[in-house]
Amino acid sequence: MFNPLSAPELIVGMGRTMRAAAGDGADDDWARGQLLSAYSISRLLAAEVDGEAELLAWLKGALGAALAAADGAEAAAAAARIEAAADAGAVGDALVELLATLRERPDPPLRARLHAVLREMTARELATLAASRGVAGGRAGGGSR
Amino acid sequence: MSAPIDAAKAAAALELLRSAGAAGSRAEVCGLTQLEGGWSRRTYALEVADPERGPDPDRYIARVRPADSILDTELGQEFAVFELLEDEPVPSPRVHGYEPAEDTPFGGPFFLMERLSGGAINVWRPQDQAALRTDWEDGRGIATDFVDHLAAIHAVDAGRLAGVVAERDFAATVARWRAIYDEVKLVADPVVEEAYAWVLDHEPAPVAPCLVHGDYRIGNCLVDGGRVSAILDWELTTIGDPRFDLGYLALPYSAGRFVDGGSELLGGVADRDWFERRYAAATGRPVERAAIDVHAALGALMLVAIMGTGLALYAAGETADIRAAWSRFVFPGLRSDLATLMGW
Repeated sequence: MFNPLSAPELIVGMGRTMRAAAGDGADDDWARGQLLSAYSISRLLAAEVDGEAELLAWLKGALGAALAAADGAEAAAAAARIEAAADAGAVGDALVELLATLRERPDPPLRARLHAVLREMTARELATLAASRGVAGGRAGGGSR
Repeated sequence: MSAPIDAAKAAAALELLRSAGAAGSRAEVCGLTQLEGGWSRRTYALEVADPERGPDPDRYIARVRPADSILDTELGQEFAVFELLEDEPVPSPRVHGYEPAEDTPFGGPFFLMERLSGGAINVWRPQDQAALRTDWEDGRGIATDFVDHLAAIHAVDAGRLAGVVAERDFAATVARWRAIYDEVKLVADPVVEEAYAWVLDHEPAPVAPCLVHGDYRIGNCLVDGGRVSAILDWELTTIGDPRFDLGYLALPYSAGRFVDGGSELLGGVADRDWFERRYAAATGRPVERAAIDVHAALGALMLVAIMGTGLALYAAGETADIRAAWSRFVFPGLRSDLATLMGW
């Protein structure tokens, strides 16, 4: 959720990395690291795509429930935008605007409900990505920055 | 089969070494390979055979700031910090010349430093986590060095660094990362937006500024024989709030948590209570968890800004480094850390 770069962009990137390795080889640590990162993306992306629709549907439903109990035109407008959202990016846009409004006109109960949904979203997304261990075996893989 | 030595890079490195008085006229580069690590810097290992300096090759690291660096930090500042540290009780490699020109065979400015013995620990690897846990349970050589060196960093006379590195208080640090985040963000992130508001609402009372490493974690140290032999990667160094280093270290990310996993030890290295007690005793500074948590959130926001920079460069076709694209998968864990720190 709210992650930059789409699945097609990542797939193209993996392809470029493989093509570069085919042309130049992978005979140093740098080139091998590039290939391993592409491999890690392949597993994580597979898990993400596998769980994406379910997670987005849950997020829209949970946010809709949180907003249904609120008064105010901003909450209603955000609920409509979220219900119509085709992807997580559109949900994020609506939420960012609403939360900015709530900083100007505080509604602590609504803010707390939205925070609770977002926290649960992070837990569900991590669980979805952790399933990448089952896609091709082994750990999802981290990285040395 | 190893890659052939790039003659242009080798010549540039030799020229710099000679200008620094670290290589003679008959010196030759006998090994030059690019190492895996380094997101904002490229790193090359060099071996230089120099009959005037003895029979064994000298080993160096070339640290390069490439055009597609994910951090807009000045390499010259990092070089100057390394030079200053040579007179401090902080283990660090000696540096041997800085080439500031952008148009070099390495693809950007570079400096050379001695390659110390020891290896880097990757705390995201289970076997490295296990090795650190063994150190903690039996001897604590790495753990002890890790906290003592941080205390030594925070004890460096900040006046020595005036004019070399930037001084930033809490508000300026938040503003710096916020500006970068705003410039590079590709999608709206409500958790990050809320976190920026939260850290400003919870600004800790100020403390005396000091040298802050800015990226203090075991992966930025060299470990040799069960001891920390060097502290590396000083590109995020500032004069600022020492609690930033403690907060950043307290992030689960710093202990090897990715989408799951990670060590239960602080930074993968030591029990948190033990570390903070020893740090407080060495520095005389109390460690207040509430303030540290705010700095931990700021550390997570720094990572979002840095990785967001890499993602923006990748999306714009300005870097082909696939790790920049991979870093998007770090964001869910950072959001989870932020949600926890904000008490959601």
